[in-house]
Amino acid sequence: MARVIVMDLSRHNTVMIGHDRYFVLHEGERSVLVRDHCPHRGGPLSLARRTPDGRRLSCPWHGTKVGVSAVKRSCLPMVRSGDEAVVVLPETGVPVSVIHKEILANLPPDPTHDEGAESR
Amino acid sequence: MTTVTEAVAASAAGLVPAGPVAPGLVTTSMAPTEAAASALAAYCSQRIFRPGPEVLIEGNPFRRPIGPPGAGDRDFSVPATEAEFLGSGQLIAGRVLCNAYESDMILLPPAGLASAKDDFEVFYGDEVRALRDAVRPGLERYAYSFLDDAVTVPPVRTLEELQAYFLAEVGGAGAPADASGSNPAVDPAAEVTGTMRMITECRRPEEAAALHLIQLALDALTEASAMARNLGGSYGVEQSELFKIFNDEFGYGVYGAKHSTIFKEMLASVGLRTDVHAYWNFYLTSSLVGVNYFNWLTEDHRGMFRYMAAVTYLEWLFAQGFADTGAMLRAVYGDRVDAKYCDEHAHIDVHHGRMTYENLLLGLARTHGELVIPELVRGIEDTKLLLRLGDADFRAQIDWADALDRHTEAGAALATSAADDAATSTLRPDSPFSTGVYDSDRLVEVTSGEADVYAWATDHPHRLGTGDVLLVPRGRLHGLKAASPEARVTVRTVERTSR
Repeated sequence: MARVIVMDLSRHNTVMIGHDRYFVLHEGERSVLVRDHCPHRGGPLSLARRTPDGRRLSCPWHGTKVGVSAVKRSCLPMVRSGDEAVVVLPETGVPVSVIHKEILANLPPDPTHDEGAESR
Repeated sequence: MTTVTEAVAASAAGLVPAGPVAPGLVTTSMAPTEAAASALAAYCSQRIFRPGPEVLIEGNPFRRPIGPPGAGDRDFSVPATEAEFLGSGQLIAGRVLCNAYESDMILLPPAGLASAKDDFEVFYGDEVRALRDAVRPGLERYAYSFLDDAVTVPPVRTLEELQAYFLAEVGGAGAPADASGSNPAVDPAAEVTGTMRMITECRRPEEAAALHLIQLALDALTEASAMARNLGGSYGVEQSELFKIFNDEFGYGVYGAKHSTIFKEMLASVGLRTDVHAYWNFYLTSSLVGVNYFNWLTEDHRGMFRYMAAVTYLEWLFAQGFADTGAMLRAVYGDRVDAKYCDEHAHIDVHHGRMTYENLLLGLARTHGELVIPELVRGIEDTKLLLRLGDADFRAQIDWADALDRHTEAGAALATSAADDAATSTLRPDSPFSTGVYDSDRLVEVTSGEADVYAWATDHPHRLGTGDVLLVPRGRLHGLKAASPEARVTVRTVERTSR
């Protein structure tokens, strides 16, 4: 059976499920709870900055570009009502905690970003 | 023996400045004094630094023989020249300095501390540390001063010049930037050339490949420990950028992903020991000088700019270099080699090359400007020279170790032309074993009994019988072990008219 938690988004934006970390990514009017893990080497995408077109996250570790749509596919089911969000967690039996972290990925695109690096 | 207190006090008081220090440049300015020489003799005579009978040193990272008795009595007051790069002085200095730098690292025996507790106490103890500190400046001056003469630093002063210089250098080294100006992805199908190809074409390619892995092991089994010395402090964005690379090297805190761990797995897959410095006796002089150079630059923080540039240059070249190394290992060992270490570097060093270039080399140049750009260039030029000298040393060692039979024939032919300066010794199976190099060509003759020659770490050393004469070219690492209850060996100088 799946586990369900309730997050207060005014206080928390990150969920630790065992060693796996998820963060609340703002995408327009919506918020999604996505895995804080670059598919390249596991860099923390919560500390990524958006590329100028806003469609990708530039991993802070190796600079790998990860599409926001791909990141959203890693999301956990979440229903939001105001600041209250109900999240359905995988039933893994590991400890779960909610915390607040700095989420650079929700800031506007980085104006200093080198677009020439896009193809790297 | 000079006491440690006397040696250190006199050394500290008596260090002699060798000349003016150029601002911003790393200069080993202290000439060793008599007291420092006494400290060196005292250091080398420590139990853990004297050779024992074993060829390989297993399970004990604190046992590091420097050389035969008297090695520490040598005069290191005059720096070695480039021509003396492979001489016995550099080998002894290299071993002492390696011990000195690594006594700043935490090393523990794989079987648990109880297996080497007494040696642990000596290696990290007050007396050895005090002696180490007394001898290190003089030996650094001895070992590295030749770089000041041998390296010409091109007149690069501006950020734009630095960019052009760096990209030209890596292009010239066979790794030109890709269309975006980045470190290019590796070509896994590239033909193996140069030293890697030479290994595959040896008569004993597995021995040669093992010797190459052993040279890498000098650094790889403690990988990024020198880098760790540059992580502390507060120096801006570049500090955080270096930490990203360190994080990769240390496997993100996962032991199985740590680069030294996967290096051990590579060693084990081809039957090599994984203990730190099990192959201490088989590190070439150039390998010691090269690894010590990076420890020196991180120990003496005035060297940080050279270090950052040297790391940038190496990380850029490592990507294809390790792809080639993996290809060589697979050609030599076939499917049994676990070359994940090479594959990992062929991948991640593409990123590290780009990251160090953009964020460390150019980052430091942007922040600190023309004051440090010559030092950055110097780090690259030093590294180029050390790589070239190291490659030549390794290739010469392979040539020699792979042809001991032919060098025995050559020795017999030269026997009548040897100088009349015979030095005779008697070896027994339990005599202390130590490898070394000669500063000139020598003939080694077994006048009674049998002796084994180790020119690389092998289970099948070259056997010399009574009457055999071996030509040992200058600078070639070797060690002798009695293969009979007693073997008498005579060493004489010989001059060759051709090589």
